[in-house]
Order: sequence, then C-alpha cells, then structure tokens
Amino acid sequence: MDIKIKVKEILSNLLKVKIDELKDNSSLEASIGVDSTEMVESVIALEKAFGVKLSPKEITKSSSIEDIEKVIHSKIG
Amino acid sequence: MDKIAITGIGIVSPSGINKRQFWANIKAGRSFIKEITRFDASKYPSHIAGQIDELNKYSNFSERLLKKIDAFSHMALIASELALQDAGIDIKNEDPNLVGIFLGNAIGGWLYAETELRDLYIEGREGVSPYMASAWFPAAPQGQVSIYYGIKGFSKTIVADRASSLMALGYGRKVLNKNKLNMILAGGMEAPVTPYALLCCSTYGALSKNNAKPQEAYRPFDKKRDGCVIGEGAGIVVMESIARANKRGVRPLAYISGYAASCDGVDRINCGADGKELARAIKLALSDAQTNIDEIDYISLDGLALNLWDDAELNALKSVFSQRVKDIPISCPKSMFGNLLGASGAVDMITTILAMEHSLVPVTLNLDEPSIKDFNYVTKEAKEYKINKALVISRGRGGINSVLVVESNTPR
Repeated sequence: MDIKIKVKEILSNLLKVKIDELKDNSSLEASIGVDSTEMVESVIALEKAFGVKLSPKEITKSSSIEDIEKVIHSKIG
Repeated sequence: MDKIAITGIGIVSPSGINKRQFWANIKAGRSFIKEITRFDASKYPSHIAGQIDELNKYSNFSERLLKKIDAFSHMALIASELALQDAGIDIKNEDPNLVGIFLGNAIGGWLYAETELRDLYIEGREGVSPYMASAWFPAAPQGQVSIYYGIKGFSKTIVADRASSLMALGYGRKVLNKNKLNMILAGGMEAPVTPYALLCCSTYGALSKNNAKPQEAYRPFDKKRDGCVIGEGAGIVVMESIARANKRGVRPLAYISGYAASCDGVDRINCGADGKELARAIKLALSDAQTNIDEIDYISLDGLALNLWDDAELNALKSVFSQRVKDIPISCPKSMFGNLLGASGAVDMITTILAMEHSLVPVTLNLDEPSIKDFNYVTKEAKEYKINKALVISRGRGGINSVLVVESNTPR
C-alpha cells in the first residue's frame, strides 16, 4: 500500500482540494491553507482509513504529506 | 440621528435571487409557496413553504467552503455579494477595520445541525463533523461573511425572533451614526425549511394548514387566515453615510431615517391584543425620523396571518394614524414567498425600497375579504403610488415590535 498516495486521496476528497495542491514537502498550512477544524476532520478520517490512533500533536497544520506518511508508517509497521 | 444611505441591495428569496428577478415576481403578484420537496414533510400539519431550489446556480463559493456551512450562511454570502456588487464596492479597497456586519437570525442553521445530531446518536461523537461547532449557531453567517471578505470591524448578530433583521438594520444605523465604521453589511438570513425547524414552527401554532392549496394558504388580514407559511432566504444591504455615498459618486437607493423598538410584555408567545406597544414603537420611529403621520405614503406590514397578531397590528395603525388609515396604502408582500422569520424585516425593507423606486405598491396575496375594514389594503394587483416615506413593521414572539422609517432617494 502506498501510504502517501492514500493520504493524498483522503485529504483531497475530504477537503475538496486538488491532489496536486497537496505538496510532499510543504506544510498543509502553506500548501492549502488548512484551518484547525479541517485538521480535526483530517485526523479523524486518517484514523478511520488506516485503523490507527493519531494524536493532534502528531499531525498538525505544519505537517507535510511526507510527515504524515512517516507517522502513519511508524504505526502500521 | 442622521439618515443613513442604502447603496446596495442583495436578495435571496423564493421569489428570486437578485433584485431584478425578485421585483419582477413581486410586481406580478406571483406566489412561490409550494409543497415542500426537500424532505418528506407530508406528516407535518403544515407541509408547504417558500423553498429555494437552485441556490448553487447563483453561487461562486467553493465546495471546500460550502461543506463547512449551513444553507443560511450560504444565503447570507450570496446576498452580501449581490449587495456589494449593487453598491459598486470592491471590499479589497476598504479598510477592513472600518467595515461592520449586522445580521439578524431567529433559529440558526438546522439543516446542518439535524444531520450531525442524527450522526451523533447513530455513530457516536466521532460521527459528528467538526464543522458543526461553527455551522449551526445564529452568528455563523456573520462569521462566514467576515472571513470571506476579511471584514474586521465591530459587528453583531441580533436574535429577536421574526424582528431580528429589522433590529439589525436599526442597530447598524445607530452604529454608523457614531462614525466609527465606514460601511456596514446589514440584514438577515433564515433557512427554516428543515424537518426540525418546521416541527418547531408547527408546534408554535403559527403555520397555515391549508396544504391543499399552497398558493392560497398565506392570507394575512383575510377572514379565512389560519397562520403564515415559512420561507427561506436572505436580505442584505450596504449601509453607509450620505457623505461617503456622495464622495463615491453613488446615488443612494434609499435612506433609513428612523427606527424604534418596544416590547408588549404580556405573554411568552402572544402579543398584546390592543397593539398599544406597537403603536408606541411606530410613534417613536416617526419621531426619530422627524416625520409626521401625514408624510407616510406606504406601510409594509408584519402580517403573521393569525387573528390576534393581525388585529393588534391594525389596532396600532388606527391608534397612530387615525382617519389616515383609509388613505395610506398598506400591504404584506411576504404573502407571496413566505415568512422568512428572522430575515423577514430586512426583506420587507428591500421590497419597500423597490416599491419606492418603481412607484408601485405590491399586493397582499389572498386578501379577499379583510377581517377589519376601512384600511387601504392593496390586493389583487400592484397599484401605482408615489412613495417618499414608508414604514416597515416587523414583530416577534412575545410581542417584540420593531419599526423602521425608509425614505426614497427622490424627496417631494
């Protein structure tokens, strides 16, 4: 499973942004101007999709797609 | 207090979105009351409404934004955009600290809230959208309009049942008079065509049960009235000082020259039967506008279409205007598209401004046999009248009375 692609698909569908707006190395805040409520929604959606528990401190507005990929990868092994 | 200029109008209603379409339908006396199709309302005592079906067609807002907000915020955003366009204002050129928002709403955003509450009970707390927190409450549209345009000046949402938006206009005028803001977006929005909101309106006992003939159901001041019909929409205007409008080279559409409010204080739900406190609010508004009763050319009525409320309203008019009630044309145009509850007063003021512009008083629909005679009701078809000054009356549960004096841009 390519975590990065799946994360991008989930966030794109959820936040109604284009996949190519989600940059691998830029923070979500810088790339799509994500707000705090969107972060709450994103964390819940990622938890459901990957079957993991994520704390709001692990995935924040400052996280990039690659940061999120790393966190999820560390949890699902 | 100084007169305030209205320089832009934004209207979102079952009778039309934008003032041209709205006025064409109002002028023609067309009814937009229909059976509710948004959900199965067939088991409700009243299952008719003024419903807006094509909101997205008139909206340029992103899907990303729309998924976070209720329909009443969406309506407020469209009405704000239309008002700004009509006023010729590009908000980017304004000092955001000197722009305010004054909106009225009665019930909040239930279309959004109901879905999320259902999810709460079915899926648990994680099933509830985090946007619920900022989508449902009455001040949500004010917040969304401020975020969308980057508006940062003193703003307020007024909740006073059906009188909410007229109060917001009165409040906006007061604040503008203190010269602490350059301009204000003011008015109101309401989206009550949802299962829970309709249920609450039904149990309140103010809705017509004439489901068999939707277009004949809302009949204010008529002998066969049995309550109002709800409608959804928003009415928002741009308010600014006359000096600023002149400086911009813009001719105001109309002026707000007086406002007053009072409370009956007799019952939790009902108004006072004598209309005494409404009469006092009318007198105070006239005094605020330095206008005497002979100068009023038209009165836009609240018209809840319940015996007590309609009769009290006419009692108040009789007590203030005496014999002049036989001459002043009066009507309740919302009988064509429904009672927009907290948004009704602002929409009534917009209708009144358009009536002034076209020198045409729109009708009260279905007023076939007035329960009280000796008033100059405009029925059947719109009538030509030159209107220089008009009163707009908006009332709320428990006997909240608010009255606005509007003046045309072409004084006699």
